[in-house]
Amino acid sequence: MRILVVEDEPKVAKALQEGLEAENYEVTLAQTGEDGFFLASSQAFDLIVLDWMLPGRDGLEVLSTLRKRGMQTPVLVLTAKDAIEERVSGLDAGADDYLVKPFAFPELTARVRALLRRGKAEAAPSQRIDGLEMDLVARTVTRDGHRIDLTTREFELLEFLLRNKGRVVSREMLARDVWKESERATPIDNVIDVHVARLRRKIDDQFERKLVHTVRGVGFTVREAED
Amino acid sequence: MSGLFRKSIRTRLTLLYVSLLTAALLLYGAGTSAFFLRNLREQVDETLSQDVETVETLLSVGPDGRVRVQAQDTDEDEGGRLLEVWSQDGSLLYRSPELWGRILGAAPDGHEGIQGARLADGTRVRIVNRMHRIGTRPVVVRLAVSEERLWQEFWEMVSVLSIGLPVAVALVGLTGYAVARRALRPLESMARRAEQITAERLSERLNIENPGDELGHLGRVINETLARLERSFEQLRRFTADASHELRTPLTAIRSVGEVALQRSGDVNYYRDIVGSMLEEVNRLTRLVDSLLTMSRADAGRIPLQRAEVPVLDLAKESAGLLEVLAEEKNQKLTVEGDPMVAVRGDRVILRQALVNLIDNAVKYSPSRGNIFVRVGSNDGDAVVEVQDSGPGIPPEHRSKVFERFYRLDKARSREDGGTGLGLSIAEWAVGAHGGRIELDCGTEPGCIFRIRLPKFTTEENTIPPEQSRKT
Repeated sequence: MRILVVEDEPKVAKALQEGLEAENYEVTLAQTGEDGFFLASSQAFDLIVLDWMLPGRDGLEVLSTLRKRGMQTPVLVLTAKDAIEERVSGLDAGADDYLVKPFAFPELTARVRALLRRGKAEAAPSQRIDGLEMDLVARTVTRDGHRIDLTTREFELLEFLLRNKGRVVSREMLARDVWKESERATPIDNVIDVHVARLRRKIDDQFERKLVHTVRGVGFTVREAED
Repeated sequence: MSGLFRKSIRTRLTLLYVSLLTAALLLYGAGTSAFFLRNLREQVDETLSQDVETVETLLSVGPDGRVRVQAQDTDEDEGGRLLEVWSQDGSLLYRSPELWGRILGAAPDGHEGIQGARLADGTRVRIVNRMHRIGTRPVVVRLAVSEERLWQEFWEMVSVLSIGLPVAVALVGLTGYAVARRALRPLESMARRAEQITAERLSERLNIENPGDELGHLGRVINETLARLERSFEQLRRFTADASHELRTPLTAIRSVGEVALQRSGDVNYYRDIVGSMLEEVNRLTRLVDSLLTMSRADAGRIPLQRAEVPVLDLAKESAGLLEVLAEEKNQKLTVEGDPMVAVRGDRVILRQALVNLIDNAVKYSPSRGNIFVRVGSNDGDAVVEVQDSGPGIPPEHRSKVFERFYRLDKARSREDGGTGLGLSIAEWAVGAHGGRIELDCGTEPGCIFRIRLPKFTTEENTIPPEQSRKT
């Protein structure tokens, strides 16, 4: 999968490149709007990550020109502006999704994955990892055959973590996708922490191998324990 | 024209009354002159009527049948009396030699009376026509007198008037300018003083000479504006200082954690921990910046409210439900109760933010095993939500300040909890934006009540008259 990253700030650009390459994407960098426009119109990419504020040619300008020329590639716009009306003008220009700077990296990779698999819905009826089995239809959870009772919220939390197993999930993602909170107010983060702690108590405490891990400063992840 | 309006008020005032005065004087002068001219004419006409009677007595027919005028040594004859005598059938019988062959108009048409006319050489004259009989012979006597003297007198008067007028206007103009200048002098000094008041010297005020007059009123208004400006500058200054302090705290943490880690050497897990700790501070910074942004957009009135009917108990239960786990962790009892019919019209998301912040606050400051009550009701037409904690209470001197941005009762503790110091400010803004307010009610017993008052929304059901609702 080839991704074009148009970002003028070198540190951010480098971090994006390394982070996306670590997820096994092939990344091409462009530092200016002109370069980005040239690369996007001369080569084929599966996704473009486009910064809004660029020197020379503004990101949205580049985007709307590309869209007028019939480019279909999904575009994820990065912006420091978060006013609602600006988001709307971004959508008009043809952006498929947004991310407000500063963003959490897991959030970026999640959006990238979502855009890349757009249209290819995956409706897995069950999730499993290392003896933990989650039946999404019957809404039951078992670990090593023992049934575990979860509240609705805990179930949704575990489902989200399992769908992203092996990857780090940030509190922002949990707030938005599990709690459906549009505003990221402080109390939500505490609420999330408490729920994760409870979930961990139920599915990990009695077992030798731990599944839910905290990644300090970033968020949580579910992965098989490395023995 | 626009140049005129750009001139100073005193110039404009002076110009205005100078032109008014000029117009008035011109009208007056014209009226006087016209009246004067009429009087002069009347005098001439009167003399003329008398003269014509005199002349008539002097007319006689000579033996040759020609009309003669008896010579009479009258003094008043210097100007030359212009006389014609016509027969009834329109033939000239006599013409005085002073006319030098000039004629006094066409043959008379039988009308008597006085009229003005101009001779062939341009001399203005007054002419009188009179029917007369010389013996038995009817004739028309026509006598004229030059108006030259009359006009001379008239123009003399006009010239006297036209010399006096500009002098009067100039005098009034100068005096008026001086008066206007004097009247506006306090304004000038106020302007000079106001110019000296800058952002650094906002505590200064204008001197008001006479608070009762218009300028005094203006000065008072300006002083009040300055006071408001000073207050908001002060708020801004404090806010900037607090905000930079709040921003500096996580920045300092990031910096020292990073620097210390680079000096030491450790294994991968050590560095992971360091990076994680730095990221935690970054999260704190991000949250802080987000909150600041929300506040500044709220201040600028740029957050549009999407209003709809919001059942308050519902909203309270939802907000409490979200935070219930936090209370459970501290073994607190969080109770939501009240009237399910109370509703407000507002933006659910923003109102919920206010409630969440208040409840979160209550959970934070209530001790373990404490009780927290959220009560919904109505009072004086307001929808009321009370959030009561069982914390240590708020000392009276702090009560007025808890809604201020970054204000913290216990600085170390609340920052440890991850608070930004903006929660109550945001709650206050959210309620204020809906036309409500938050009251703080701290009694003698421990714990405080934060009471949200919002204008109550009357549902359509309630407003339908009883008969109509019975039908449905």
